[in-house]
Amino acid sequence: MPEIVNIKDLQKSFGKFQALSGMEFTVNAGEVVGFIGPNGAGKSTTIRILLGIIKRDAGTAEIFGKDVWKDSLEIHKRISYVPGDVTLWGNLTGGEIIDLFLKLHGRGDKQKRDYLIKRFELDPKKKAKGYSKGNRQKVGLIAALAAESDLYIFDEPTSGLDPLMEAIFQEEVEKLKQSGKSILLSSHILSEVERLADRVVIIRQGEIVESGSLDELRHLTRSTVTLTTEGDVAEMANVNGVYDFEQKHNQATFSADHKHLNDILREASRLGVKKFESVPPTLEDLFMRHYEG
Amino acid sequence: MEEKFARWNTLFLLYLKRDWKKIMVWVLGLGLFSAAYVPAFQEITKGQGLIGMYETLQNPAMVAMVGPTPVETAGEYTLGAMYSHEMLLFCGLFAMVISVLHVVSHTRKEEDLGLIEIVRSFQIGRQANSLATMLEVVFINVVLALFISSVMMSFGADTISVEGSFLFGASIGMAGIIGAGIALVMSQIMPASSGATGSALGITGLLYIIRAGTDVSNVDLSMMNPMGWTYLTYPFTENNWIPLIFAVIFSLIMMAVAFVLEGARDMGAGYLPEREGREKARRSLLSVRGLLIKINKGVMISWLITFIVMGAAYGSIYGDMQTFVESSEMVRQMFSDTGASLEESFTGTIMVVMIGLVSILPIVLVNKLFGEESRSRLSQLYATRVTRSRFYWTTIGLAIISGLGGILLAAGSLGGTAIATMGDKSTMGVMDFLAAGFNFSPAVLFFTGMAALALGWAPKLGKVVYIYLAYSFLINYFGGIIDLPEWFSKTAIQSWIPRLPLEDFDTVIFVMITVISISLMVIGFLGYKRRDLIEGA
Repeated sequence: MPEIVNIKDLQKSFGKFQALSGMEFTVNAGEVVGFIGPNGAGKSTTIRILLGIIKRDAGTAEIFGKDVWKDSLEIHKRISYVPGDVTLWGNLTGGEIIDLFLKLHGRGDKQKRDYLIKRFELDPKKKAKGYSKGNRQKVGLIAALAAESDLYIFDEPTSGLDPLMEAIFQEEVEKLKQSGKSILLSSHILSEVERLADRVVIIRQGEIVESGSLDELRHLTRSTVTLTTEGDVAEMANVNGVYDFEQKHNQATFSADHKHLNDILREASRLGVKKFESVPPTLEDLFMRHYEG
Repeated sequence: MEEKFARWNTLFLLYLKRDWKKIMVWVLGLGLFSAAYVPAFQEITKGQGLIGMYETLQNPAMVAMVGPTPVETAGEYTLGAMYSHEMLLFCGLFAMVISVLHVVSHTRKEEDLGLIEIVRSFQIGRQANSLATMLEVVFINVVLALFISSVMMSFGADTISVEGSFLFGASIGMAGIIGAGIALVMSQIMPASSGATGSALGITGLLYIIRAGTDVSNVDLSMMNPMGWTYLTYPFTENNWIPLIFAVIFSLIMMAVAFVLEGARDMGAGYLPEREGREKARRSLLSVRGLLIKINKGVMISWLITFIVMGAAYGSIYGDMQTFVESSEMVRQMFSDTGASLEESFTGTIMVVMIGLVSILPIVLVNKLFGEESRSRLSQLYATRVTRSRFYWTTIGLAIISGLGGILLAAGSLGGTAIATMGDKSTMGVMDFLAAGFNFSPAVLFFTGMAALALGWAPKLGKVVYIYLAYSFLINYFGGIIDLPEWFSKTAIQSWIPRLPLEDFDTVIFVMITVISISLMVIGFLGYKRRDLIEGA
């Protein structure tokens, strides 16, 4: 699969503050990559470097195999971007701003614009100063989604949107994904990333702490197991790979390390399994695991 | 009553505490501006100065600008009469404008920002905020009035009487309160704070223009104008307090109307519906140039109108120039004769003043690009195929065109009015005025170049260009009165350029400064092309 975005050993500091130290990841063609991390971890800095808005100190950053700083214009012909906090000119209407963005992008789709305005229930005749946060965000989203691009970069795109609109955004992104577009999605809404992303990159303090498909990431961690047995379930507490053991009557709840799954299952069947439920960790669990402690 | 105004006093004290710095600047700044020129005016009155000023200010164009005087003969025109004649209307106008801005920013603006929503969730009356803001403005204007009166009295000048000083101060304070009343009403009617500010300032401007007309045609009609109730008190001459009574009644009515309107509307709503805009953009907007013109349109048009008005104001003086210049030693020195005719010498000096003002607009436009950048409004555009070069040079081009257009309008309007008022006595043609103006175009380009350099390399220093402009303006303005050493006056860029039509055109200097300015722009571009864009700064 050709690499659409390719970042290697990316460095950037602002004065003494090291914002990025060795950022590294790729986005392949037709792939949705979720980009998550707490505030100040360097997500927006990475995205701004990718857009050629700020210049990296060291490392490589390429989109479509081209350098993001030197060939930014070539790249920009084929990307769309939505910032997390869309700011607009108060005296222009939403409709005017969308038209302007599409014109400057160059490959705007008029019909898709009208379709999206209806879909997102935006009033395009209203001056932007009268828009709420969510409505400003819709303007940015419509302008980006109505443009024909190969890579879409979303930086916390749904902040301020209501859950209905968030769902519409997710549907639209899925359509893009089905038509083979690549998407870099930075978001705090982990359920959104979980639903859309093929792969996830988790960063902290300018570095990658984890990356891979959700399945791979899950594999590295533990599932939550609920177990009821005929014999004394308390015996499970001492099995290798069992953590956070809690017992209520004959029912036990614990975290199971995937490496020791076989041992755990063998021990459980010896006790006589009446009920066995295993829930894989949510992205939120993964996320929390990295940032707590 | 209780649920409407509960705990307004808490808010009132909070606002005084929150605004005390602003209040200090307001009272000291406007107060000194209004009251502290007494010694300078004493200087002008020496010799035949009073008679000269009296004649100059009888010119209808001047009456339209500063208002009338009740004095009927030049002999009765005292220092006090002149001071209130020249200063009162303008100072009152300033007081009105500042009060308008303050009231809207503390009422409707905070409502738009969602602050009022939080305040109302506490045990505070629904209209307590408006009441507290209104009382704060009244309080500030009363302090301002007392401050002005005491500063004026402190000079101990003969004709600046105690009663007149109090009336002068009170008239300015009252002007502020009238403005506050208008602003509070508009804050209720309009759908958003920008509309409230715009319409309240628009009404203020309209009242000023209407009174300009009625002052020239029939002063009695100006007494029907709320703005007339400030300067028609004629301090130091007629000392007429009655207009202030009208003003108090008017302000009380405005406040009552505002409170009724506010009580009957929902928070965040107005009485005028928000005007619907375009669903689709016009073709003219769809480019970087179109966008930059659209977002700068307001500021460009208002400055260009200012240039025309300024040119016309100075141009109207030409008719009475002889009397004016000969009336005062100080003025004569400023336009010291070098064998040239008076008009020519006056043109050379006044052009420097006008060029200083014209230079502001291009700096504003160049700095605006950084303003847009730091407010992150361009972030989605940087991600399109539009180049940085396009943003930069479109901005610079717009700035240069506005600068040259500003010279054309200012010099043209000065020349046109001057020739009209002088009649056949004129020794200069319109082309002479335009040449005198465009002779300074390298200076305008130089300020544009400085702003461009800052934009490219240190955008936060963009404001420093204004400081340099103010500095060189002052050097040129006072250079005529005080003898400055050559090297010192040359630190101002305009000093390098000979003053037409007094002196001869200098091609070398003209070309050199132009080349330097363009180089500054190119160097600025090199920086702009490679620097990190600063968003959210």
